[in-house]
Amino acid sequence: MSKGTNPTLPLEDKDLLSKIRNPETRNYGFNLLVRAYQQRVYGHVRKMVIDHDDADDLTQEVFIKVHKAIDGFREDSQLFTWIYRIATNECLTFLNKKRKRFFLPIEDISGQLAGKLDAMPELSGDEIQKKLQKAILTLPDKQRAVFNMKYFDELSYEDMAEITKTSVGALKASFHHATKKIEDYLTAD
Amino acid sequence: MKKLEDIPKKDLFKAPDGYFDKLPGIVQARVAKPEAKPIWMPVLKFALPVLALVTVGIFWFSNPTVQNVETELAGINTEQLMAYLDNTEVVWEEPEADGDWSEDDLLELEDRVYSTFSSDGSDLELLNEILDLENL
Repeated sequence: MSKGTNPTLPLEDKDLLSKIRNPETRNYGFNLLVRAYQQRVYGHVRKMVIDHDDADDLTQEVFIKVHKAIDGFREDSQLFTWIYRIATNECLTFLNKKRKRFFLPIEDISGQLAGKLDAMPELSGDEIQKKLQKAILTLPDKQRAVFNMKYFDELSYEDMAEITKTSVGALKASFHHATKKIEDYLTAD
Repeated sequence: MKKLEDIPKKDLFKAPDGYFDKLPGIVQARVAKPEAKPIWMPVLKFALPVLALVTVGIFWFSNPTVQNVETELAGINTEQLMAYLDNTEVVWEEPEADGDWSEDDLLELEDRVYSTFSSDGSDLELLNEILDLENL
């Protein structure tokens, strides 16, 4: 085992990485990696950008970046948290660019995303779910990512700390504040 | 206040049917495809060497290396020039004889040399001293 290798790296990840690092099985290994993580990456990205087409573009970009950077993956973190970090950064960059392109303040981009929620057929007739999603959209992007990772994806604070490179304490505080804001929104009407 | 735990968790954001079957192939194709180079890259491939040659040409002809010899010499310190000549073996070519000198020719030449001397005879004395020294 090389220096710095994470002994707790799941066996499947080790197997994937060894296939990717072997030139003869690189393409096959990378295909397996995409299949293994595509649903979680898409789910995380989709919750951040709401629109499927945007989520599709970003998910592809995430895996292309993973492919470019995989040889530099040091195995001192889990493969999943590493990919999740790339996905989170892609989402934040995308939302920032969108805001700058249209000279929009935070509230307006939330309003734009809420408009997409209204147009989603999956949410028609489920008013409480729609309201919950709109409440989540009122949060700042980073806090929204933290809330989604904890509430929907049920990640541990330790994994989230690896993804966001933030302390567990700060993440707990962020999640607590997010929950309070959402509950205030839900009881506002 | 409405609590979050009262709301059932639902995964609302479903991908279209068959999306995850196609995605690995799409990503694989994008990864395998070389990065698209900008259209002006082949043009630059030829334009840059030409531009470099033109630049070198302009520089070369605007700064001629062969300059006027007199200008060059004017820039050299006289003492350095003397030192150079002292330390350099100079070969003087013998002038080609274009015929025998007659006695009249020699006398005429002597007259021309003596006529350039000063009238008080000091130059003549100097010349005689030199000739005496050479005859020693």
